[in-house]
Amino acid sequence: MITVGVLTALAFALRFYKINHPDQVVFDEVHFGKFASYYILREYYFDVHPPFAKLLFGLAGWFVGFDGHFSFENIGDSYTENHVPYVGMRALPAILGSLTIPIVYGIMKESGYGTVAAAFSAAIVLFDNAHVAQSRLILLDATLIFFMSLTIYSYVRFRKLRYTPFTLEWWSWLIATGVFMACTWGSKVNGILTVFAIGAAVLVDLWDLLDIRPVQNTMDNFYRHFAARAVGLIVVPFIVYLSFFWIHFAILVKSGPGDSFMSPQFQESLSGNEMLVNSHEVRYYDTVTLRHKDTKVFLHSHTERYPLRYDDGRISSQGQQVTGYGHADENNWWQVVPTKALPETGRGRIVRHNDIIQLLHVNTQTYLLTHDVASPLMPTNQEFTTWPRDDHSRYNDTLFYLYLNGAHEGEALRTKSGHLRLVHVPTKVSLWTHREQLPEWAFKQQEINGDKSPGEKPATWFVDEIIAAEDGEDFLNRTSAVVTNEPKPMNFFKKFAELQLLMMQHNAGLTASHPYASNPINWPFMLSGISFWTENADQKQIYFIGNIIGWWTCAVALSVYIGIIGGDLLARRRNETPVPEPVRNRLWNSTGFFVLVWFIHYFPFFLMNRQLFLHHYLPSHVASALVAGSVLQFLLSDSVNYPISVRGLYTHPKPRQYAEIGLRGPIVVAVFTALLFGAFMYLAPLTYGTPGLDGETVNAKRLLSSWTLHFAAKSTA
Amino acid sequence: MKPSEIAITIDSPPASPTRTSSDFEEINYPPQHHSYTVHRIERQPEELPLHYMAEDTSARRRVTRAPGHAADSGVQHGEQEWEYDDEGKDAYAKPGGAPKFGGGGRVARRAPPPPPTSIREFVAQNLEHVPPAIYTLLSCWTRFHKIGKAPLVIWDEAHFGKFGSHYLKREFYFDVHPPLGKMLVGLAGLLSGYDGSFEFKSGENYPAEVPYVAMRVIMATFGVALVPLGWYTAVELGMSTRACHLVALMVLFDVAWLCISRFILLDSMLLFFTFLTVFCLTKFHNQQYQSFSFDWWLWLSFTGISIGCVSSVKWVGLFVTALVGLYTIEDLWEKFGDLRMSARTQLWHWGARVACLIVLPILVYMASFKMHFLILNHSGPGDAQMSSLFQANLVGNDFASNPLDIAFGSKLTLKNMGWGGGLLHSHVQTYPVGSNQQQVTCYHYKDSNNDWIITPRWDEPQVDLNGPIRFLKHGDVIRLVHSATGRNLHSHNIPAPVTKLNNEVSCYGNATLGDIHDYWAVEVVDDLHRGSREKVDRIHSLTTRLRFRHNALGCYLRAANKPLPEWGFKQIEVSCDKENDPKDPYTYWNVESHWNDRLPKGEVKFYRSPFLRDFWHLNVAMMTSNNALIPDPDKEDILASKPTDWPVLRLGLRMCGWGDNQTKYYLLGTPIIWWGSTVSLIVGLSAFALYMFRAQRRYVDMEPREWDHFLYVGKVAFFGWFLHYMPFLIMGRVTYVHHYLPTLYFAVLMAAHLLDHFFFTSKRISERTKSIIFGTVAFSIVATFWWFRGVAWGIDGPIKEHWGLGWRKSWNIYEN
Repeated sequence: MITVGVLTALAFALRFYKINHPDQVVFDEVHFGKFASYYILREYYFDVHPPFAKLLFGLAGWFVGFDGHFSFENIGDSYTENHVPYVGMRALPAILGSLTIPIVYGIMKESGYGTVAAAFSAAIVLFDNAHVAQSRLILLDATLIFFMSLTIYSYVRFRKLRYTPFTLEWWSWLIATGVFMACTWGSKVNGILTVFAIGAAVLVDLWDLLDIRPVQNTMDNFYRHFAARAVGLIVVPFIVYLSFFWIHFAILVKSGPGDSFMSPQFQESLSGNEMLVNSHEVRYYDTVTLRHKDTKVFLHSHTERYPLRYDDGRISSQGQQVTGYGHADENNWWQVVPTKALPETGRGRIVRHNDIIQLLHVNTQTYLLTHDVASPLMPTNQEFTTWPRDDHSRYNDTLFYLYLNGAHEGEALRTKSGHLRLVHVPTKVSLWTHREQLPEWAFKQQEINGDKSPGEKPATWFVDEIIAAEDGEDFLNRTSAVVTNEPKPMNFFKKFAELQLLMMQHNAGLTASHPYASNPINWPFMLSGISFWTENADQKQIYFIGNIIGWWTCAVALSVYIGIIGGDLLARRRNETPVPEPVRNRLWNSTGFFVLVWFIHYFPFFLMNRQLFLHHYLPSHVASALVAGSVLQFLLSDSVNYPISVRGLYTHPKPRQYAEIGLRGPIVVAVFTALLFGAFMYLAPLTYGTPGLDGETVNAKRLLSSWTLHFAAKSTA
Repeated sequence: MKPSEIAITIDSPPASPTRTSSDFEEINYPPQHHSYTVHRIERQPEELPLHYMAEDTSARRRVTRAPGHAADSGVQHGEQEWEYDDEGKDAYAKPGGAPKFGGGGRVARRAPPPPPTSIREFVAQNLEHVPPAIYTLLSCWTRFHKIGKAPLVIWDEAHFGKFGSHYLKREFYFDVHPPLGKMLVGLAGLLSGYDGSFEFKSGENYPAEVPYVAMRVIMATFGVALVPLGWYTAVELGMSTRACHLVALMVLFDVAWLCISRFILLDSMLLFFTFLTVFCLTKFHNQQYQSFSFDWWLWLSFTGISIGCVSSVKWVGLFVTALVGLYTIEDLWEKFGDLRMSARTQLWHWGARVACLIVLPILVYMASFKMHFLILNHSGPGDAQMSSLFQANLVGNDFASNPLDIAFGSKLTLKNMGWGGGLLHSHVQTYPVGSNQQQVTCYHYKDSNNDWIITPRWDEPQVDLNGPIRFLKHGDVIRLVHSATGRNLHSHNIPAPVTKLNNEVSCYGNATLGDIHDYWAVEVVDDLHRGSREKVDRIHSLTTRLRFRHNALGCYLRAANKPLPEWGFKQIEVSCDKENDPKDPYTYWNVESHWNDRLPKGEVKFYRSPFLRDFWHLNVAMMTSNNALIPDPDKEDILASKPTDWPVLRLGLRMCGWGDNQTKYYLLGTPIIWWGSTVSLIVGLSAFALYMFRAQRRYVDMEPREWDHFLYVGKVAFFGWFLHYMPFLIMGRVTYVHHYLPTLYFAVLMAAHLLDHFFFTSKRISERTKSIIFGTVAFSIVATFWWFRGVAWGIDGPIKEHWGLGWRKSWNIYEN
């Protein structure tokens, strides 16, 4: 009790020390601080991470009186000048980060390890520069790690009750595991790995429950167990996870920077959205501008012609150029011409889904056309050009189907909100563009061509605005009844599904290179950190890096564990049992579970192509600290505290036994903790960003040559 | 419960009469094995009778097992006591659960019959070889039929035919694949009297002097051999006769295997060696009961040689190598648990594997490269990929006449010595980012933009063409002047475009304009011939390894295979590395070409290149190019397909032009074989899971031998498939449908195995039903083949006139 009290107190002290420094935006506070202010302003934003942790920040900000009118634009923007109550917001992760320490301690104690081993694991996390640095700032990882350790704790408690299934306590810990799991996943995308880790452990558990021995284990019993876990670990977490999004959508009802990521239907559910305000139905003979959704260029044409011969020797049609142009221009104006008879007036003149249309370029009075001539840059795609209005010889080549994405039969084309594809009637190619510039002869404008099987994204266009109606009619008010400014509600599940999908796509799309991104293989050895913040005046910097002694101990502990397990397997293969049975069970089942957690939180990063940073390893680091404690216990003593699980009806009582650790245990841990603390203090200026360091000191703190610290003195090599 | 019902439940097992081992007709069980079996069965109180003991046609399934083999698993069942705490049910370490190779599937060994005395006896003794012989003849027919029909260069014949020509002309070329397959193409050309003069331009007609038909026939011979290999592998895997027929039929009648074998491509050889490796492995497996016998050694070393060959054709062969590796690891793990085996025998086992499965294949692989280097001793298109020293030894290369010592005023090219490094290059285009000065890159091809001139510092007297020659030494500070543009190699404190932590390197100024940022200090690392720095008095071209330190910033000139974006033409970025890592080969440079009229010409004897260095260098270069074959997201390659398309046969591949007058070939599998084999993989996994579930509920579905056999064949097929498929999912490079062809073999084995398991060796099904099932499957294979035969034999005339080939909408057989 005293131990855990001291550890917790120390944790609070280390995480709150100078929490107001720096009074500037640090690293990803740029994002997560901003998101908090969006919650306060209730403006819709888009992010790849689920909303739970960000909701907490919003709540914390609201609590300490943050009004949301600070945009967290750049690293280094001052908080004090802008009167942002940032300390209150930073306190949230600091509290959660500090509370992680007693939980780590609790996991170890509950799993049957001695106080010494538990204190050891807790100290590794307590005196870790990386955890401290991450917990003192407005970042999601502290929340993630806190709930991850709570999940593990609850699952351990749940496992200990396995001989008394379906009791109230059993149910409570099962549900607790599920809820905390959902919170972990809701904090950050990587939290899903915790779900996988628990899932893997549950599968192993169920496999054992399938076994017919020792008592006649009926199938019904198995089904009951299965159903209970399905409820506790799938249904409950899913509901909790959904509820985060429900709150998210309930708060964010105004149009904001996240609009353009979403579908038109979604955007129309946000108040003040452009689609809601400026969306009009398009009628035939309206003059409109067409804009590409992905690259935001206008469909453009001008009197210049394609050169007869391209550089690679291919030949063009020498027709009028059709390009993509980024700016407003009269050459972007196109008139929508019908191919069917229209009524004189009324709603029959509206352009609808599936119509066949022609597009007349207003300035040159030519029709848009495509034909079987290779485009300037892509020999596999068709060239787009235009054809004089009066020449009917190529009428068929000027016809295009107009398809609205996700539209029902006969839906009207609306500006802004109607995402459309133009598909050429005779050759079935779609109007398509990509970020490739044409050469000088087309003023470096963007190439437009016809693609047979385009992806959805590069072939989607929308009508940006109506320039003029046929007879100069007032197109804004011709259908007064249709204009509404009320947000249209959208089904929550549809919104949820859409957002989930986008989050996944964008998460996978984060592949741009970043100077501080690192390869997962480096993480356990902490080969490179991340520069969070620098201040040139005093040569202050925050460099995100762990406690080198702690991390390397964990790495060694993992290899020792693998060595022990490997040795045990080999020995057993030769029919020898060097490790007594209770100790072996502990090694396989308890430590094995920690290793599983470590592995599942680590290995998947090898398969990801996105940007990866050292802080992605922090959950694994906590798990490896647990492993380190267990391995220490194994090395110190050849016995374990036993039994630790709650006895059930059918279980035979076993004589209690306690691990003999003796005096060397506390001594080892004390010495080690002193070392950890020393290393922590040594790196502390990099973690807290104060005091400033001169070049020589920076060089001295650069323990590994691969760390890229700022303000290093010139090497004299 | 009626025996004919297939009732599979996971619920509590019903009581049933206990079966004893004497129900079987047993052949030569060694005593302790017998007792073991009884012991096993007595331990199982309840059991479900799965099959009816009426008849058993497949004598293969009841075979002698090697003594001493079965003992291992017996040990595992003794423990498993229930304990109160901490898991008596040790889930993580459950010994019985882990799938194993080894065990069943052995073919009965009979004493060799006496030599035949009459033809009748000979026939009777060799009756079992009649079906494979017939299949082989059929295979000759399908493979050779109309093989010369299209007298033009089809698809990748453009590459591999050309590489074959290079061997005949003995010109060095570079390719991403190891050389064995292409050397065989060259050999085929040699045998058929081809002189290597044809360029193999894609789609071009073969001139009269190119014996393309003969070359194709030789390649197709490898394809012919697949069929008997498939048959005998099935036999060695212990499949029933019907299953063997099915394997042979599927191998014979798959149009994709057929089609790919009929042209001058590497795939027929790759398939042949893959099949051969599996065959050798199964053969070896069946020798395991008599370790260290002659046959055992024979098949073990054949396996090793075959691994070496398959890996020397294409690196895809490494996947089948991995299969052999897994088998071996499991086998050794079994042996490790055999407490009665002496340590000496254990060591022998280990040694034998190391020698035959590691050393031997590596020797084969290296030998193929040695041959490659020996044959290709003339300068050719692939020179630039190799080290300068290697190039100096090629006939027709002028490096060997480089003046030996470098002096001020020398014009030279600098080659990066990192694996796959290029030549230091600059061109008039400028960086669109950073300083906007002239780009400096690494370029792999010869070009006058690679030439640089060693020039003294600004504050020193310039080179006097009539004065004494000043030689370059370690520590000299120089300027490097780009010969074509006259600018100086320059670096400054601006981040490089890709490697942002390094300084940008550019070309700046001219003959009069410049600053101290143009100074580079020359540091000698060592000399490949003379050794360490102390022994290097003057810097030699080709052999001396140099580094260039920027005099003002202290950073090192480096090029590390990071391609620049489109604006840099995807050439390699050159940057200046602030970290001084003296061991980093990407900061090492050597002088490649060297021109200086005032110095004497060099000789070849100065520039010898060691084989191992060249071998390693070429392999790394191959690896680098292979990894660079990534799909370009901007260009849609209609030939490429995704790995997920293959098992469901979503796409075929047009191998040639699609005009109405052309003979058209479409690389497409026989749908029923591809789909069927994919289904069998899923069924196989499900069956395995079901059996595991039932085992956990303590049902006994099969006797141990049957279970071992089921697992053994299943594991060869499944892991073979998995190892040949998964890597394609993970790797980023462009993939084509023909990458699935080796993989398909394992799926086919799985299909045959499951049909065998569920039907042909089932004791619940009558012979009549079995025959009907066999007939149906065989007929549908043959019929589908006949339906699709055109895609492999060539389709003439407008494709629209050939009705009924578009079984899936996604096949682009009719239109784009």
